Amino acid sequence: MKRELRQYTTQVTVIGSGLAGFAASMFALDRGIQTAQIGNTGAVAYTTGYFDLLGGDGGEVIDDPWRGIEALRKTEPDHPLSRIDDKDIRTAFSKFTEALSALGLGYTQPGENNLMALLPGGIAKPTLSVPKTMLGGVEAASKGAQTLIVDFIGLQGFSAKEMVANLSSSWPGLGAETVAFPDMESGASVYVEVMARSLEVAENQKRLAKRIKAVLGDSKVVGLPAILGIHGSDVVHAQMEKLIGVPVFEIPTMPPAVPGIRLRELFEGTLPDKGLMLVPQHKANRIDLNEDGIIVNLEDSFGEIQIQSQAAILATGRFLSGGLAADRHGVRETLAGIPVSQPDNRNDWHNPDYFDAGGHPINRSGIEVDGCYRPLDANGNPASERLFAAGIVLAHQDWIRQRCGAGISFASAYKAVEAASKILEA
Amino acid sequence: MSTIDPAGTKTYDTEVLIIGGGVTGTGIMRDLALRGFQCLLVERKDLNAGASGGNHGLLHSGGRYASSDAETAAECRMESDIIKRMAPECIDDCGGLFVAVEGDDPAFAERFPEHCAKAGIDCQSLSPQEARKREPQLSDTVFAAYVVPDASIDPFHITLGNVHHAQQLTDSTYLPHTEVIEFDIADGTIASALCRDLRSGESVRISAKQVVNASGAWARNIAQLAGCTDVDLLYVKGTLIVSNSRLCNGVVNRLRPPGDGDILVPGGTVSLLGTTSDKVDSLEGLRPTVDEVDHILNEGMPMLPVLRDTRFIRAFCGVRPLLQSSDAGMDGRKASRGFQLFDHEDQGLKNFTSLVGGKLTTYRLMAEKTGDLVTRRMGKKAPCKSASEPLPAGDSVRWTEPGYAPRFWYRRNDPTDAILCECEMVPRSAIDEIVETAPGAESHMTLRAIGLRSRVGKGTCQGSFCAARVSSYLYDSDVYSGVEGRDHMRDFLAERFKGLRPVLWGKQMPQMELAEAFHCGLLGLDFKKENGSGSSS
Amino acid sequence: MTAQEEIITPTIDFQAKAHELLPENASYDSCLACGLCSSGCPASGLHGIDPRRFIRMAMLGMNEELSNTPWIWTCTMCQRCAYVCPMNIDVSVLVGYARGAWPKEKKPQGIVRSCEAQMMSASTSAMGVMPDDFVEIIEETVEELHLGDERFKDLEVPMDKKGAYFFVNQNSREPAVEPEELGPLWKIFDYVGADWSYASKGWAAENFCMFTGDESTWKEMVKQRVDAINELDCKVWINTECGHSFYTMWAGVEKFGLETNFEAASLISYYAQWIREGKLPVNSDWNTGNIKFTIQDPCQLVRKSMGDPVADDLRYVARELVGADNVIDMQPCRSANYCCGGGGGFLQAGMNEQRRAYGKRKFDQIAVTQAQYVLTPCHNCHSQITDLGDVYGGDYRVVHFWTLICLALGILGENERKYLGPDLMDIGLP
Ligand SMILES: Cc1cc2nc3c(=O)[nH]c(=O)nc-3n(C[C@H](O)[C@H](O)[C@H](O)COP(=O)(O)OP(=O)(O)OC[C@H]3O[C@@H](n4cnc5c(N)ncnc54)[C@H](O)[C@@H]3O)c2cc1C
Ligand SMILES: Cc1cc2nc3c(=O)[nH]c(=O)nc-3n(C[C@H](O)[C@H](O)[C@H](O)COP(=O)(O)OP(=O)(O)OC[C@H]3O[C@@H](n4cnc5c(N)ncnc54)[C@H](O)[C@@H]3O)c2cc1C
Ligand code: SF4
Ligand code: SF4
Repeated sequence: MKRELRQYTTQVTVIGSGLAGFAASMFALDRGIQTAQIGNTGAVAYTTGYFDLLGGDGGEVIDDPWRGIEALRKTEPDHPLSRIDDKDIRTAFSKFTEALSALGLGYTQPGENNLMALLPGGIAKPTLSVPKTMLGGVEAASKGAQTLIVDFIGLQGFSAKEMVANLSSSWPGLGAETVAFPDMESGASVYVEVMARSLEVAENQKRLAKRIKAVLGDSKVVGLPAILGIHGSDVVHAQMEKLIGVPVFEIPTMPPAVPGIRLRELFEGTLPDKGLMLVPQHKANRIDLNEDGIIVNLEDSFGEIQIQSQAAILATGRFLSGGLAADRHGVRETLAGIPVSQPDNRNDWHNPDYFDAGGHPINRSGIEVDGCYRPLDANGNPASERLFAAGIVLAHQDWIRQRCGAGISFASAYKAVEAASKILEA
Repeated sequence: MSTIDPAGTKTYDTEVLIIGGGVTGTGIMRDLALRGFQCLLVERKDLNAGASGGNHGLLHSGGRYASSDAETAAECRMESDIIKRMAPECIDDCGGLFVAVEGDDPAFAERFPEHCAKAGIDCQSLSPQEARKREPQLSDTVFAAYVVPDASIDPFHITLGNVHHAQQLTDSTYLPHTEVIEFDIADGTIASALCRDLRSGESVRISAKQVVNASGAWARNIAQLAGCTDVDLLYVKGTLIVSNSRLCNGVVNRLRPPGDGDILVPGGTVSLLGTTSDKVDSLEGLRPTVDEVDHILNEGMPMLPVLRDTRFIRAFCGVRPLLQSSDAGMDGRKASRGFQLFDHEDQGLKNFTSLVGGKLTTYRLMAEKTGDLVTRRMGKKAPCKSASEPLPAGDSVRWTEPGYAPRFWYRRNDPTDAILCECEMVPRSAIDEIVETAPGAESHMTLRAIGLRSRVGKGTCQGSFCAARVSSYLYDSDVYSGVEGRDHMRDFLAERFKGLRPVLWGKQMPQMELAEAFHCGLLGLDFKKENGSGSSS
Repeated sequence: MTAQEEIITPTIDFQAKAHELLPENASYDSCLACGLCSSGCPASGLHGIDPRRFIRMAMLGMNEELSNTPWIWTCTMCQRCAYVCPMNIDVSVLVGYARGAWPKEKKPQGIVRSCEAQMMSASTSAMGVMPDDFVEIIEETVEELHLGDERFKDLEVPMDKKGAYFFVNQNSREPAVEPEELGPLWKIFDYVGADWSYASKGWAAENFCMFTGDESTWKEMVKQRVDAINELDCKVWINTECGHSFYTMWAGVEKFGLETNFEAASLISYYAQWIREGKLPVNSDWNTGNIKFTIQDPCQLVRKSMGDPVADDLRYVARELVGADNVIDMQPCRSANYCCGGGGGFLQAGMNEQRRAYGKRKFDQIAVTQAQYVLTPCHNCHSQITDLGDVYGGDYRVVHFWTLICLALGILGENERKYLGPDLMDIGLP
């Protein structure tokens, strides 16, 4: 059937919709650059919601990420964070958290030290910025406040008792209760996403608050799994605090969890109104580099789409997101065929011990970039004057163990957009 | 049944002490219980910690040995027939094919039916077309194919079933993580065995009239503990890989002299490709390697090209304890697959028996022979019943069968019976039953112990999600109450990783990355010091 | 045992089928068991199944259970699972296939009967409106319009006009049960001076044959319609305000390799274009009370077909019609939108309890917006959301775009206000 080939022209195309991709789009829009973006569900979909800058080193906690980066510049000069000025990192990080807060998802401003944020198993996470809905957990834990953790009938993988058992030695004032979520009393499995959406309805907030109040006892603070709405969670949060009468905080949960969905839907829901040409939840299948620009090709169910632009930013993530792929013989970058720096042999990809404090070498594989964030070809030259890269697809970092995913994403996106903006024609 | 002696050592009194919780030890336990004896089984780790948990699960028709060892082949044929009748629930009677593909020796293939006939094995020739109809994934270079009555067997179900039945019959006991460290010998008799409970560190003394060493590859060590020097073994390591889905309808064997990567066995919902065969000197710290995995894949692909693009979710290995013989060859493939019973009388012991070698397929026969000797030594007359008494189905031992849990759950149709392991669809009710009544169930049961008795952790995600869900559930149901859940999780995941590591490419890479991000980023399990949040201030 | 129960549903090898029908990297073998699909699927938990479980059961070889589970009739094939999945695994493909394998006698009879009705005449109408009836109803309705409204006394409703630029299809509901609802769209065409035509054959929009899973009848329906359009030699086939009728056509044409000499377009895109071009000079001045509206994006039109651009058009049109501040989006929306539960034949399947459980999320979403009206260009959404409001006590009404466009233009007749509330009953009457 005749259907028009959908062609769009823009200044910059961002490929990837993880933190790096969305940061790149935000920074580009902020500079008044006409921007298009494509990308699918990837790593960020499973996030805690915390934004890490640098939190881990060889199995140890890093308290001061800025000093940590300073040290990194000596020990790991190729690390993406080592290569970016503190000033730019700060600017990128706070621009992003400010922008999110302005869009209705409040985040704390990045400070000097890491916050020790709660995780569902009871171990704390050193991170730089947390959603406002989760900040209460950091505070309650540090004060050892009389706190009630509440879990729900039918919710798998989150146990208030488990948190208490793991934390009670250092946090004696911690209690656990189980309640039934309104309209989910049967005991059948429930998903946090469904609970969160249900809590956007005022009536359900009241019903839940009443049930929590009934078990509150002497507790001065309430901790819930992250269910305080997907949209307008700050409002839901404030409303629940008012209704229960004590501070309330959220704790991240295992996949499929709310924070990742929240971020995706916030971006998808708000950036198009700010001028972003977004093709949500689709991947590019080819890019064509040529003298006067870059064509990003994709296909949705309705047919082919082409996006022509002057520059593109590759923020396609790693294996989980599909930016990198491995076969038995090696790792490759999937879209532009950029060489991937990697261990020589599959036997060296992973250490024998899963929890080896040094992490696994494969996590440090990735693409190399020059000072302008242009991916390098096999000869060490920029693959194209128009192609830039950002995010955890970059080599020489271990976003998982070093707890630096968000930081790398924001800072490198910032630098890549800065570099890309220089080649744009007016 | 146990008492505490004045020195604080827990002591047990039993008729027969059996050492080794593999298929052989548990088979002996059941054999003796069927004859009316009360037994106590000790296992250093947990059931099937040795070769019985690290094998191919092929219930041999005998075809594999027909060309080289007619005796073993015939033994396999007879035993597999018996097991199919006595333990049908543990068997997938899927049949098997022997196929020769381009490059294989036509003469070897041609003689196959003749060899099968000699061993009494039913063998039917198929045209290449017929073979590929039966197994569509076969290479189109197949030039000879024969059907034999191979089957696949669930060694976990067998072992659990043996223990369960023995417990029922004579109140026999199974002690997990209990290692024999010393024998108390007087007058040519082992009076008792001193063991250590490796979980609590406590000593355990077991007095028994008869002691049976069924410790597989460790049999030499145990024999030596008893001062016997007559057991001599070869250690041959074998590695296998598990695919994400079932690739073939039945067993597929390469029709050539036994070599690496030449058998694909269905394991319910998955398939197992193997094996390698390498002599090793030590039994400790063995794990499957990247090179071994590549090797079996390269060997297997000519027969089954589908392997090239197959998603593998795990590799594992086991050690074959083979009887030392002079012409064993470098890889041990030519060593005898038969078994040997040692009465150790020439070593000056009257109540100690060692059973060495053999196969999963012949475990019942091995148990029968051992049972005969022990019965005689006990001065009793009680015939073996394991060839005529079916292995009873037990509620708590049925969860290892792939696909059983979801069917049970689906039929039960109870929406509150939440699924905890989504890949293998294991519901809460299964976990409850295992924790309460499975053989070896104990307080604060580890995730590994639960995994062993179910399909938890065996599916696509290799435990990365279900570890957290099961652990939370165990806290909610008060099985766990301290920080042990976290330790069990770490231990369980580290163990799963050993098997994942060599198969990390393709579709298993994103899975692994998600798992690691979850375990470290969302659970913080990699931190050396556990910074419980409260203590951070 | 009744005769019906004795008919056996053939067992499908789901894993093999998935391998065959899905792209290599988006097949069941790629699933990470992460659960995003299930957490975002409104059919999750109905009959104990959800999309991840569907996939896992296939991988575990539970073919018999899957072949027989009634869950496949509660999955609306909305493809939200594929939308949120990191691997884009589309559960709806095998759901459709499994539906097809059910013996006709066992399938939900409402869907089967609707398909059979479609097969009965050249109309392809699920409500049994024959070609002659259609022509007659149109003629009568036009006549009434001529008499009823002076301004439209010359309005033409072309039938079988060869070479017309637009071929417009028509959902059977209006001619069959509420012909007065036909008027607004005609007025819009008249207003912009569109060169359009209905056809007496293959005019119907709805296609329940697709929902039965029976591909041969799906193909047959699409083919009849394609032939009718080809025959009239129209440039553009415009799909009326109906979701699945758009998907069924273009996807059917592609799936069955049919020859077409026309382009497919949605009426929504043209509304937007005409408003932009000033051909439909609508404004929101009438909405003095700042009545709030929300939009239901039909899955079949947005996520499954044209994606966000058409969702943007919907919003553009809505904002022009009622005022930008008076459009409150449900969240999530556009391509990420939740199916309302009216699609996939669910409304016709007679599984009310499940359908309403499925729709509860939609109801909650609407409740959050506090909108008084839900605007949707889809008949199934319309019926389902109306029913959800009745069942769960919603205080809203559901309207078509054509109603509001005519209202804003001041050309909405008194009898064309069936779906409006008292607040809008008198607005814009001459
Ligand atoms: C379990 C888990 C927990 C986490 N917890 C934290 C945390 O506590 N703190 C924190 O800071 N971060 C956390 N993260 C998130 C992670 O740090 C961020 O996702 C990452 O930093 C963002 O990097 P990115 O945008 O470069 O890549 P990704 O998030 O991986 O995004 C890559 C994007 O590229 C897209 N893509 C790939 N190929 C193509 C193509 N061909 N065409 C178009 N698009 C394509 C993908 O669809 C995806 O949208 C967690 C992640 C996981 C999985
Ligand atoms: C790679 C491989 C593939 C195979 N494939 C097949 C096949 O397809 N078909 C087939 O029929 N056979 C097969 N076999 C052979 C079969 O697995 C073995 O013959 C059988 O499992 C041996 O069982 P077992 O109980 O004798 O020994 P094991 O299962 O090894 O049991 C011995 C147990 O003793 C315990 N133990 C050791 N020391 C002590 C101590 N001091 N105190 C307490 N306990 C102790 C160990 O922890 C161990 O659990 C295969 C073997 C291997 C290695
Ligand atoms: S979202 Fe995709 S990968 Fe995740 S469980 Fe569902 S189908 Fe599998
Ligand atoms: S198509 Fe829609 S209803 Fe069906 S499984 Fe996917 S998300 Fe659920």
